[in-house]
Amino acid sequence: MRKSVVGSLYRKEILDILRDKKTILMMIVVPLILYPLIFVGSIYLAGSILAAPTSKGYIVGFEGLRDEQAMKDFMKEREGEHHYTFYFYSPPEKKDSEEMLRDNRVQAVLRESVSENRPYYEIAYRASDTDSQTAAGMVETILEDYRDELRRNEISEAGLDPDTVLRPILYGRKDYSSNEENAGYLVGLIVPFLMITSILMGALYPAIDTTAGEKERGTLETLLTLPVNNLELIAAKFLATSTIAMAAALLNILSMGFLAIYMGDTMKLAGGGGSLDLRSFIPAALIMLLCVFVFAMFVSAVCLCACIFARSFKEAQNYTTPLLLLFMIGGMAGMIPQLSLNRVTIMVPVVNVVLLISELFHFHYNLSQIATVLFANLAYTGIAVVIMGRLFSSENILFGDAAASLRLLESRKHMKPGQIPGIGDVILLFSALLIVVLFVGSTAVLHFGLYGLMIEQGLILLLVLLYAWYIRADFGKVLHLRKVRPVAVLSAFLCWAGSFFLIQLFGSLLTSLFPGLSTENAENLVALWQGKPIWLLVLVVAVFPAVCEEAAFRGFLLSALEHKYKGAVAVVFTGLIFGAYHMSLLQFLLIAPLGILLSYVVWKEGGIVLSILIHFLNNLSSLLLEQYGESLQDVLPFLKEEQPGAATAAGLFMAGFVLLSAGLLLLRKKAQPSS
Amino acid sequence: MNIEVKGLCKRFSRLVSDGETKGRRSSRKEEFLAVDHVDLSTRQGEILGVLGPNGAGKTTLLRMMGTLLAPDEGTVSVVGEDGAVISDPIAVKSCIGYLSENTHLYGRFSTRELLHTISSIYGLTPEVRDERIEQITEVLNLSAFIDNRIERLSTGQTQRANIARCLIHSPGIYIFDEPTLGLDIISSESIVSFMKGEREQGRTVLYSTHYMEEAQYLCDRIVMLWEGRIIAEDTPQRLMEQTATDNLRDCFRALLDAGTRERAEETEVRKEEGQDA
Repeated sequence: MRKSVVGSLYRKEILDILRDKKTILMMIVVPLILYPLIFVGSIYLAGSILAAPTSKGYIVGFEGLRDEQAMKDFMKEREGEHHYTFYFYSPPEKKDSEEMLRDNRVQAVLRESVSENRPYYEIAYRASDTDSQTAAGMVETILEDYRDELRRNEISEAGLDPDTVLRPILYGRKDYSSNEENAGYLVGLIVPFLMITSILMGALYPAIDTTAGEKERGTLETLLTLPVNNLELIAAKFLATSTIAMAAALLNILSMGFLAIYMGDTMKLAGGGGSLDLRSFIPAALIMLLCVFVFAMFVSAVCLCACIFARSFKEAQNYTTPLLLLFMIGGMAGMIPQLSLNRVTIMVPVVNVVLLISELFHFHYNLSQIATVLFANLAYTGIAVVIMGRLFSSENILFGDAAASLRLLESRKHMKPGQIPGIGDVILLFSALLIVVLFVGSTAVLHFGLYGLMIEQGLILLLVLLYAWYIRADFGKVLHLRKVRPVAVLSAFLCWAGSFFLIQLFGSLLTSLFPGLSTENAENLVALWQGKPIWLLVLVVAVFPAVCEEAAFRGFLLSALEHKYKGAVAVVFTGLIFGAYHMSLLQFLLIAPLGILLSYVVWKEGGIVLSILIHFLNNLSSLLLEQYGESLQDVLPFLKEEQPGAATAAGLFMAGFVLLSAGLLLLRKKAQPSS
Repeated sequence: MNIEVKGLCKRFSRLVSDGETKGRRSSRKEEFLAVDHVDLSTRQGEILGVLGPNGAGKTTLLRMMGTLLAPDEGTVSVVGEDGAVISDPIAVKSCIGYLSENTHLYGRFSTRELLHTISSIYGLTPEVRDERIEQITEVLNLSAFIDNRIERLSTGQTQRANIARCLIHSPGIYIFDEPTLGLDIISSESIVSFMKGEREQGRTVLYSTHYMEEAQYLCDRIVMLWEGRIIAEDTPQRLMEQTATDNLRDCFRALLDAGTRERAEETEVRKEEGQDA
């Protein structure tokens, strides 16, 4: 992919999109005019609904009242207190309540009878008529007042104080949430939905225009005559669509921001509700912007995927309508009260972004949640882009037949034997792994406890092997299966020992510096260990992860990256991705360096056995520390200290440094490329 | 510059009805060769006409030669004046100016903007680009409308803009797929004279058309395509001599009849062989 070509194509796409009036309409008019309109309109509407009953009078009829005049007087007397006006209707000849209501002469009828030796007042009305409903409500209020009056009279006659008898205790509510929190709560309900809608609107039109639109106008074939490959074409289209979607999102956020400022000012002017400190929303808005940008990329990729199938604008609209509905439904997740971010919802596209934005406006900033949502969306975008790349072949462009050129699951017989996986393969496999770990893995752990962990790890290995088989990869190369020198095994032991001390030091340093870092994942894991035999724990905690995770990371991932990039880049990225896979900030900081070490060893020596060994020893040592920590304190005295003192820290560092250096020095001088 | 293809094949699939069996209409997908092992090479500075009835595979062949479409079998390569062979599809595209009835232009751009975008993709420097645009404007007489949006141009103007697009990178080879289709006499004459002019400058032109008169006086050589195969390849003069006709139109018909007969005999022979076995 050549940057300059993508750049030229990108500029062309943007110019082409911006020259179209429909885009501008969707992008600018909706956020800048529609929102204020909706807002002002709804305030006006709400105001007129509230004001309606005071401005209107209602006609009430009576049937069979013992003292009709007394009731009329009472109603007139209370009218002012409740802001109603009553008119009374007496029919020229006697009619029952139903007749009066049916004739539309009255909105409610008060009828008196006797029930359980007391007067029984029935309010006759018609629920199908709004005016009648309101009138009935008013009459009911009056009757409550009337009952109250009768009670008070009785109590007074008995020589008691009606106020203390009727209200022997007093109670009330007080809201301690700040104005900002209240506003945040409301914003969290509505804003995510508006965000999703606006991004969709922003992405949809460019996505259709740059794919189906170009196909329909016949300009795609012209593009194909230029020295441009399909990847560059699709990259430019994806970037352009994302840019427009992001711009739409940004405009929306700005529009909402101005609306918020305007609202704040009106509230201040009105003086009633107190002031709102809008600055407290800035962090939430900024993080939202980041999420929304990543989400815009996801939406763009998905829309493009759907549109590539279409031959014309109309067809593309048909394909995207179900998509639109799905996204909208997902967008409403923020309004479901019981729904919050958990292990499952955090992985569901759209829903995770909605819930995260909601959380942000509740002033809950959970770094791992934010990171997970961002990663998940990036992963989904990656999948969609890979699919898009495969769909967007020349055949598809020329003949408009995407289904025929759908080569996502290219037949295995077309695969070149002995190939090294590419970046597309890495994205596909690791996205699949992510989903397996999060959905299948967590379900398995819930149901089978420790064995569930084994299932999860086994699935990782299985997926890696299946994918390698499917692309006809050379297993020896992809998994770095190579015999290792005996001295390398010694080096692995030294590397482990060195890293052990350094991780102990670094870990306690991190927890003392950032006490807030969540150790939740680790604690959940340890809870599973309770009362299990040690051999099982060794199997689950040390053996399985060492073999399965190494196959995925130091095998598949490292060999793919090695093939594509310089050794150092491949080693560092493999380590970072390995750290990110553990999905917690603390774990990432601790494990990413270990991942880099493991990758370095495999890159240098070429044998995955070594990283399996180090990984095994590392997990085994943390298991043993957790289980037998107290008895081990005699052997390793530094374990006694909750926070290592300067001397212990220096000792740990020296020991770690010397052992690790010795281990690294024993490795080969030159890297052993797998291919 | 010359373009060479060897053993070029493209397979497409089509739905074939099997008729009705037990009241059910059944159809199956059948693969067929739209282009069937074609070998072809141009000569420097010639206009090579590709003729054939509808569905003969002309467009598919030209698309593969322009590397818009990847062949299922065979190779396409460009031989430069220094004898260097270029076979990377992207590099081949840089040597070719490709124009067909399907290459439409971006209506929301002006011709100048379009040329700017395209030159940046070809990697031309702004100086070279501006010089080229000036030359092309003069040759194709674009100055009256070069800054108007393409959607507002007439058919003839659009076609000229489209040719300008093919010229911007000074390609050594042109592939024109029915460039005069649907144009009035004046517009098509300007295109024909353009092709002649390029030939004089030593450029190679590959050109397909249904207008036999045009082909007869324009082409140096003619390739006759039928059912994905080349059934005749020679100068118009000699083709007419071979078929004892005095114009290309009759020659075309005669060649097609011969082709159909040959094919029928072939099937006959194959059937007999099948029965013998």
